[in-house]
Amino acid sequence: MPNAELLTPGGIPELTAALQRATPSSRLLAGGTDLIRSMHQDHWEPDLLIDLSGVRELDYVRLEDGTLHVGALTTFAALQADPLVRRHARCLAEAAAQVGSAQIRNVATVGGNIANASPCADTVTALVALGADVRTIDGGGVIATRPLPQITLGSGRTSLAPDEAITEVSFTALGADHRTTFAKIGSRSTVTVARLSMALVVTYAAAGTVSGVRVALGAVGEAAFRDVRLEELLEGRPADAESARLFAAGCMDAVRRAIPGRYSLPYKQHAVVGLAFDAWNALGLCERCEPACG
Amino acid sequence: MRLVLNVNGMDHELDVRPTARLIDVLRLQLGLTGVKEGCSEGECGACTVIVDDKAVNSCLVLAGQVRGKKVLTVEGLADDDGLDLLQRMFIEHGAVQCGYCTPGMLMSAKALLMADPHPTEEAIRLALAGNLCRCTGYTTIVAAVRAASEQPAESSSTPPVPAADRRAV
Repeated sequence: MPNAELLTPGGIPELTAALQRATPSSRLLAGGTDLIRSMHQDHWEPDLLIDLSGVRELDYVRLEDGTLHVGALTTFAALQADPLVRRHARCLAEAAAQVGSAQIRNVATVGGNIANASPCADTVTALVALGADVRTIDGGGVIATRPLPQITLGSGRTSLAPDEAITEVSFTALGADHRTTFAKIGSRSTVTVARLSMALVVTYAAAGTVSGVRVALGAVGEAAFRDVRLEELLEGRPADAESARLFAAGCMDAVRRAIPGRYSLPYKQHAVVGLAFDAWNALGLCERCEPACG
Repeated sequence: MRLVLNVNGMDHELDVRPTARLIDVLRLQLGLTGVKEGCSEGECGACTVIVDDKAVNSCLVLAGQVRGKKVLTVEGLADDDGLDLLQRMFIEHGAVQCGYCTPGMLMSAKALLMADPHPTEEAIRLALAGNLCRCTGYTTIVAAVRAASEQPAESSSTPPVPAADRRAV
């Protein structure tokens, strides 16, 4: 087995210099919780490992002009505790809190969750609902930004070039008129991989109606996605029990559209109904419909 | 590659393979076999150590990633005055049976108490959620951690690695 070289850039200029040496067989290392397990258990090594963990300027959460900027090296532990994330993107804090164990959350990063491109990546589901953009830098120092769904193409597949590193995710900060949540189903209550996940963002008007609905589903197909038909079902509707039922039924249809014929469809099309009611109730909208939800 | 790190209060300069995991260096190069390998994928927590005050799975971190950092393993818990309060509480509450998960349990619990000296039971259970035990059923482990958190601070032995500012690398 070839012995990989480990590069340890201490800042952005060193990072771009390291990226210039990257080949299709090279790997970027952030928290490492997926990559190191894979290398060890599957007995392979890249030709070059670029450890991002020393690039500390990529570890931040900032609110600027209504946009929340999250550095790629922000850990799940940091996301779950960050006051700005909790206030302006609660679904992301909730998703981060449900990733793995405390040990995993202490090192695993949001940039790594995206680049690893697992279909069940919890924070990716939340970021898709938030309409996040992903910023990258390459070996030439070129900085580019593209919508998250253009990065995560499928299971383990991204549009990232070998010499391209994620530096930031950003999205419009949610205001006081928004409600948002993240919910997932796994094989156990904690330290569990999502069999199904959902992030929900709505604007809640004083008149008791919802609008601007964004729903992302994760672990349904190869990459987290939004379903426009599902979102349109709820546009302008009152936040009542009928809307909750409509939402749950819409989620079932969305799962059927996403994975027709897939072995997991018989389970997931029904499981998503329960998840939909859980998420809807967690928004805290429908004081009038409690008997019907759940 | 050359690696400089501090383990249990001692500085080390080592020659390590670039892809060596932290657990490999701790066990094979430093002889700290209290760090246990179970699942090798971050499920069981037997390999848990504390890096710069945070619990991590040493099977999922490259040794090269802890360059310049402070690592605390179960071997670093006891000092000249004897066992750490947590270790004494584990013994007192029968929280050790086969013992394989115990070093990891202790280190997850230690990291929790370093950050939050008086956690709720829910916080204890969450902090230990990444540590699996096939023997005890967890009840005695949670009781031991709770007992340690309820002791007056002066009866606890001093943490061997004092909380330090995260060192820039």
